[in-house]
Amino acid sequence: MKRLSVSNRKMLSVILIGLVLWSLSNVKWNDPIFHPGGTDTFRDFLEASIRPELSAAFILLVIQSAWTTVTYAVAGLCLGMLVGIVSAMTALWAGRKEKSINRFYVAAIRIFLAFLRAVHELVWAWLFIIGFGLTPMAAILALAIPYGGILGRVYYDSLLIAPEPPIRALQLTGATDLKILIYGQLPLVFPNLVSYTFYRFECAIRAATVMGFVGIGGLGMQIELSLSDLLFNEVWTLLYAMIFLIVVVDVWSSVIRKTLTK
Amino acid sequence: MLRVSLLGIVFIIVISWVDILSGDSGFPDLFRSETWVRVFRFLQELLGNDNVNTPAFLEGDRWIETGKLAYQTLAMSVLSISMAGLVCLLTFLPGAKNLSDGDKIPGWPRFLGIMYFPLRLFFVVTRSIPELIVAMIVIFFISPGILAGAVALAVHNYGILSKLAAEIVENMEVEPVRALKSSGSSPAQALLYGIIPLFLPQFLTYLTYRWEVVIRTTIVIGFVSAGGLGREFRLDMNLFKYTDVLLILIWYLILVMMVDLVSSRLRRLAQ
Repeated sequence: MKRLSVSNRKMLSVILIGLVLWSLSNVKWNDPIFHPGGTDTFRDFLEASIRPELSAAFILLVIQSAWTTVTYAVAGLCLGMLVGIVSAMTALWAGRKEKSINRFYVAAIRIFLAFLRAVHELVWAWLFIIGFGLTPMAAILALAIPYGGILGRVYYDSLLIAPEPPIRALQLTGATDLKILIYGQLPLVFPNLVSYTFYRFECAIRAATVMGFVGIGGLGMQIELSLSDLLFNEVWTLLYAMIFLIVVVDVWSSVIRKTLTK
Repeated sequence: MLRVSLLGIVFIIVISWVDILSGDSGFPDLFRSETWVRVFRFLQELLGNDNVNTPAFLEGDRWIETGKLAYQTLAMSVLSISMAGLVCLLTFLPGAKNLSDGDKIPGWPRFLGIMYFPLRLFFVVTRSIPELIVAMIVIFFISPGILAGAVALAVHNYGILSKLAAEIVENMEVEPVRALKSSGSSPAQALLYGIIPLFLPQFLTYLTYRWEVVIRTTIVIGFVSAGGLGREFRLDMNLFKYTDVLLILIWYLILVMMVDLVSSRLRRLAQ
């Protein structure tokens, strides 16, 4: 970690303060910020947090929709990982040789991955629904596309910055590219890749929840239904279920990371 | 432990796919011609092939109109990331284990240790709830507009930034703080001179990365909180004005690329 140089510090401060002031100037401060009665609703909403809906029928519904959300997240992430692994591996393999066709391939993969991750998953979902209707496949593909783009880039970048000496040593023994990958690069960065993929799983659960908003089942849809009926206690039960899922993934990931880096 | 985790991962992947494919998954539709005909017709409608109306992206007025919305969207993203960053800077410190304990530091305030768990819990809660869900809740209280959208985005990003910020500090040495403390500075001074100078460059890097994510999410927030491009996207989608949808997507991509460029410049400055 380095300290900022003085000139950079001054410039950064000016830029950042300028950006914040500019964004503040865009808010219509003359309009009332809160709805009339908004504060009362806010109080109701917060009060409901200590009285979540706990009837057996509703809990069953929560479990079902949480499961739906998890299946979408898992399936979407699987496809995303497939895209990520294939593009990262092939780009890495092509980047090993200094031919112009190979360099072109690496650049093409980079642009392709950037395109995949440029658009938010919910926008993809909206487009896919037109093709597939309100089916799980629309949600899964919509998740898989941006996640493929992100995972591909992260896999590629972290394999690329793996420390050089062990790889050179393997090359000198005459190992093939595949062997270098398996015995040289992968073990060096594997813990990072696993924990990043787990972090993305956490994100995928959130993203799959949000898919509910365009009508593809799961927790998000239930939250929207309960919100539009102003049943804040039900909303809180669903939110607690969400938080539970995220915490489970978080704890699981840190346990795996600890065993891997030991 | 690793073996159990691996089995668990394989198990959850298999039953997820079985569960999805056994129901009405839409998977067979991938191989049906009607699906692809529909997709192609939709793509053509995006490009405006009906010859009746001029496509929106060929009209200068529409570019200016949606450009204004893009401008608002950009303002929303900056507003939200600065809110999240500011609140995070004010609160993250007790969330770092090595600072909240402060065992080795003489005369360290005790209340920091008490705040560790509540604060960590607060980070998890804010991080767990997706922006769109926060937005759906927030518009019950705050008038729709870029402020509501920015607040919704800020809540979720606050949770993520604070967790990252706490981890930066946890990876740092507390020795400078100790040295400052034992040479007679107050706790606030010790933090200001012992932690912040090393912390800030790393934090700014994370902040710019999150900004890139935020700009991609603003369009989604617009779906509910009535601000910027997202609202227009949803309206045009519902009114089947597909050429307008394409125009909005073009503006959206311009914004994304612009923010990626600016944020990588800022990162280089922060290094």
